[in-house]
Amino acid sequence: MSNAALTDVGSPAAARPAPALNEDWLAVIIGLFIFVLGLAAVVHIDLIGWVVNTSVWINPGNALAPASKNYAPLGGAGALLATYVALTAVLSLGAAALKADVKRFALAFTAVFWIAYASWIIGNYAHFAAVTPAEQQKFGISWSLRLTNEGAYIFAVIAGLIIANFLPRFAAAIKEAVRPELYIKVAIVILGGFFAVTAAGKLSLASSLVLRGLAAIAEAYLIYWAVVYYVARKWFGFSREWAAPLASGISICGVSAAIATGGAIRARPLVPVLVSSLVVVFAVTEVLVLPFVSAALLAHEPLVASAWMGLAVKTDGAAVAAGGIAESLILAKNAAEGVRYQPGWILGTATTIKVFIDIFIGIWAFVLGYIWTNHINVTADSNKAKAREIWQRFPKFIIGFVVTFIVGLYLALGTPAEVAKNVPAAIGEANTFRVIFFILTFFSIGVLSDFKLLWQEGFGRLAAVYVVSLFGFVVWVGLAISWIFFHGVTPPLAG
Amino acid sequence: MSESTQSELREELRNASVEPLLPIEKKLIGWSLAIGLVLLAVLAAANYLL
Repeated sequence: MSNAALTDVGSPAAARPAPALNEDWLAVIIGLFIFVLGLAAVVHIDLIGWVVNTSVWINPGNALAPASKNYAPLGGAGALLATYVALTAVLSLGAAALKADVKRFALAFTAVFWIAYASWIIGNYAHFAAVTPAEQQKFGISWSLRLTNEGAYIFAVIAGLIIANFLPRFAAAIKEAVRPELYIKVAIVILGGFFAVTAAGKLSLASSLVLRGLAAIAEAYLIYWAVVYYVARKWFGFSREWAAPLASGISICGVSAAIATGGAIRARPLVPVLVSSLVVVFAVTEVLVLPFVSAALLAHEPLVASAWMGLAVKTDGAAVAAGGIAESLILAKNAAEGVRYQPGWILGTATTIKVFIDIFIGIWAFVLGYIWTNHINVTADSNKAKAREIWQRFPKFIIGFVVTFIVGLYLALGTPAEVAKNVPAAIGEANTFRVIFFILTFFSIGVLSDFKLLWQEGFGRLAAVYVVSLFGFVVWVGLAISWIFFHGVTPPLAG
Repeated sequence: MSESTQSELREELRNASVEPLLPIEKKLIGWSLAIGLVLLAVLAAANYLL
């Protein structure tokens, strides 16, 4: 469920006809569409090389360029315009499929795209993003904040936060296109292929991720959930209707888990909606803090850091993006010490951990639904939890991630060398779109983060459960278990 | 979410009476923790051995 949808509860928009497609399936379609277009480059048909790419810059004229040299005549501004037009067209078709107001969506998306991308360009300014002394020398500068280019995501979050907290009317005007869940799911589908190309280089390490993924499921559902539920019920005196979605939001995967649990236990719809608002606020806080903490403490344990991001940062968007920022910071720090790790492993590990956790949400919601409808609020047979709800609540975008991963792995390992050598560049073009969807996600998360919620009487107690559970337990247990499984394991060296 | 709905929810959260933990909730918490810890131990051992 999108966060835009969350804000629609109780509004006239909620009365629109049911869409033929949900955001999950839409994300799969858009992600696969971009992935397939990118793959055409494997046979030398460059269909999406016009997508805009941003480099660290000191001269604004050098900031933007098309991803592929085949489209160099387009120039940076042309590539940016082409990217905007293409994304607006594709996402507006998606909005139509979701039965959203297409004109409103297109206008809102225009604002979202340009503000978010402008933040990204600013964040790539050399004084913010340049990392190594060599880079500083290249740009002729004597100082830099060393945030790395992916640190520029933070600028997108901050732009969103300013709008959410200081320009609430503008935030309301663009809410049709503020859909972080949709954007991150598209990005994750594309990321599957990118991670496959990375993993192809060291399959043994990739397979050990499976064990860590299973451990993540045990941690999130069986340990975190039980502890947070107990804390909410026993220490803070919340009712079952509030405590269960709250426990799922804090311990599992944020918004989608809170919504799934609320539905499963037949809570009033507004309960998980409110919990989700809180989840987003805390996810932003985590994204702004944890990647930097991980880079400071775990630069020499890159995979511990990435697994930690996947487990500790809630909501798919924030967790995956935190993995991206952590990767950039950690790779830069190691590069400065002369160690160059292959890119992709830290981001890929954080994403895989998150995907493993997401897979189980339908089953967990069914377990809770069964207990609630049979033992706690015993309901009529027609309203009891049914096994088919497992599939209904299964996050379908995971199918897209698995498909692109398998196809990417096959192309990288199962095709003749002359074909396989084109695969990284082809998937790299699709991956440029993944970066843009990350930017849109970051900005959207910022726009949805209304920090005023934390100070409102009544809701402050919900926030207190979150603070106690997240920073008193979830974050540290996640770190400890990530350490047990990954310490001493490093990504392959580049080149 | 409208202002009136938010204030109703705030009111409800302020005035909610405490619901004691039911035996089924205690079982859910206890069994979850027990299975979770055993699973983690098994997976950590497998990770170490493989």
